[in-house]
Amino acid sequence: MKTRTPYRQMPWLIFAGIVVLFVSLFATIPANARPPMQETEKYCLSCHGNSSLSMTLPSGEKLSLYVSQDQLDHSVHSSKGIECEACHNNISTYPHPEQKYATKRELSLNYYQTCEKCHSANYAKAQDSMHAQSALAGNENAPVCTDCHGHHDTQKPDEPRSLVSETCSKCHGGIVDIYKQSVHGEALLSEDNPDVPVCTDCHGVHNIQDARTDQFRVESPELCARCHADKALMDKYGLSSDVYSIYKRSWHGVDISVYKARWGTVWHDSAVCTDCHGVHDMRKTNDPASKVNPANLLTACQKCHPTAGPNWVDAWTGHNEVSLERTPILFYVDKFYTSFTPFILWACIIYVLLQIIHSIVDRVRSTLS
Amino acid sequence: MSAKKTIKRTPVAQQERFFARFNLGQRWEHALLFLSVTVLLLTGLPQKYRDMSWSQDLLSTPERLDLIRQIHHIAAIVLTLEAIYHIGRAIYLMARRKMSADMFPNMQDIHDAWHMLQYLLFLRKDKPAFGKYNFEQKVTYWFLFFGLALMGISGFIIWFPVQFTQFLPGGVVPASKMAHSTEAVVAGIFILIWHFYHVHIERLNLSIFTGRLTEDEMRKFHAKEYERVTGQPASKPDDK
Repeated sequence: MKTRTPYRQMPWLIFAGIVVLFVSLFATIPANARPPMQETEKYCLSCHGNSSLSMTLPSGEKLSLYVSQDQLDHSVHSSKGIECEACHNNISTYPHPEQKYATKRELSLNYYQTCEKCHSANYAKAQDSMHAQSALAGNENAPVCTDCHGHHDTQKPDEPRSLVSETCSKCHGGIVDIYKQSVHGEALLSEDNPDVPVCTDCHGVHNIQDARTDQFRVESPELCARCHADKALMDKYGLSSDVYSIYKRSWHGVDISVYKARWGTVWHDSAVCTDCHGVHDMRKTNDPASKVNPANLLTACQKCHPTAGPNWVDAWTGHNEVSLERTPILFYVDKFYTSFTPFILWACIIYVLLQIIHSIVDRVRSTLS
Repeated sequence: MSAKKTIKRTPVAQQERFFARFNLGQRWEHALLFLSVTVLLLTGLPQKYRDMSWSQDLLSTPERLDLIRQIHHIAAIVLTLEAIYHIGRAIYLMARRKMSADMFPNMQDIHDAWHMLQYLLFLRKDKPAFGKYNFEQKVTYWFLFFGLALMGISGFIIWFPVQFTQFLPGGVVPASKMAHSTEAVVAGIFILIWHFYHVHIERLNLSIFTGRLTEDEMRKFHAKEYERVTGQPASKPDDK
C-alpha cells in the first residue's frame, strides 16, 4: 500500500493555488468597479446609535439624534454604500460645526435639498408640482422629498403598490379612505392588483398638479382613457374599451374636446368621466352604491340637469353603439339616414347629371347642324 | 296655389306677355325661407362640426359659440313662424275649398317623370308638357316640406330636451340630435344640387322674386298651364 505523503500532493496544491489566483484575478474586477465602501455609518452610529441622544432646538422642540442601525439596514441607500455624509454633507468632523436650525421643519427643509445631488430629474419635477407651489405660497408643511420617501429609512415607494396610497394618506387621509372604497382601491388592497391605478397613476409622481383646475378637468377623460381605451387591459376584466371613443362623440365629449383644444383655461361644466362616475369613489356600474348604477343614474344626471324627469336617463345612450335593443329610436333614425336618404340623394344627383348630359348633347348637336 | 290671372300689359314693341306665378305673399314667404335657412345653415354647420379646426377657428371664444347659438335660435323662430303661417294659410284655404291642387303630387307626375327619364336617356325626342308646377318643382317643395318639418321638430327637442322628455321617451333626444345634424346636411346638398341646378343653371328662373313668367317661359316649361290659361296651343307654328 502506498502512503500519501504531503510531498506527493504538492503539485495539486500548487495547481489549485494557481487556479484560485487566476479566478480571483477576474473576480476582483467587478469588486473594483463598485464605489468604495464608506465607513462613516459605523463611525457616526458610535454616538448616534445611542437612543437617548437628543438636543433641544431654539423652538423648544426636542430633536432626537438617534439613528437606529435597523432603519439604515432597511433603507435603499445604506446597502448601496451611500452613507451618512452623502446627505449630511455639512458635517464631516467631530465636533460638528454648529447647526442653526430653529425648528425641526427648518432642518428637514434644508436637508431634503441634498436629494438633488443624485435625483436631479425627479427633484426638478417636484419643483414644478402643486406641492412646491404650496411651499412657495408660504406653506412650510408642503411636502418635500423626505416627507413621502422617508429619510433614514428610505424605501422603494411602490413596493407593495398600496404603499403609495398609504404615503399620500399621511396628508390626504380623507380622500384615500374614499379611494379605498372604490373599485380601484378595493382591488389594490384586496389582491394587490397590478392594473388598477394608485394615486400617482392619475395625479403624477413628482410633478403632481392641482387637480381642481380647468386644464386638469378637460384633460381628465384622457387620463381615464389611458387604461379604459386599452383593449387588452379591458378585455381582461370584461369591460368595453370603446367607452372613451363613444364618449368623445357624445354631446359632453365634443364639448370637452373643444374646450381642451381651444379654451383650456375656461371652466366648462360639460360632464367628464368623474362627474358621473365619481372622482375617487368610482365603482362598478352594477354596484348599488355606484353613482351610475341604473337606479342612481337620474340623480347623477340631475346634478347638472336639475329639472330632468325620469325619461331623461334614456336620453343618455351610455357608452354604447347604436343598437335596436338599447336605443330603438336612434336605431331607426340611423337606418333612415344610412339607407333611405342616400338613395333619394343619389337619385336626385343622377337625375341632374342626366339633365346636364342631355343639355350638353343638345348644344353640341345644335352647333353641328 | 294662388288664383290664376293673366296680367294684361299694354302692348310694347315686342308685345311681351307676363303670366302671374307667385303672389306677393308667396314671394315674401320664399324670401323669409331663403334667409332663415341660409342663416340656420351658416350658424348650424360650425356647431355640427365643432370638432373640426375650421369650426374652432370660427367659434374662437365661448362667447362666439353662445352668440352663434342665439342667432341660430332666432332664425329658427323666424322659420317656425313662417312655417306656421304657411300651413295655417293652407288649412284656411282648404277649409274654404279655395286651395289649389297645383302643388299636390298626382299620377300625372309619375307619368311626367317617366316621360322625362326616357327623354333624358334619348329614348324620346319630346319633353313632357308640364302644368303650373312640374314634378321637379314638386319634389323640391315636398322634400323641403318634410325636411323642414323634421328639422323643426328635432331642433326644438334638442333646444328644450329636458322639457320634451317630461312626456316623450328619452330616446328622442339623441335621435333628434342625429336627425337634426344629418338632415341639415342632406337638405343642404339637396338644395345645392337640385334646386340650384333647376333655377340657376338649367335656366335662370327668377319668378319667385319677380312673381311672373314670360310668355316664352310659360310655353316652353309650363305648356299645359299655358294652354289652360290662354286657350292657345303652346307650340308656335315656327317651332320644330
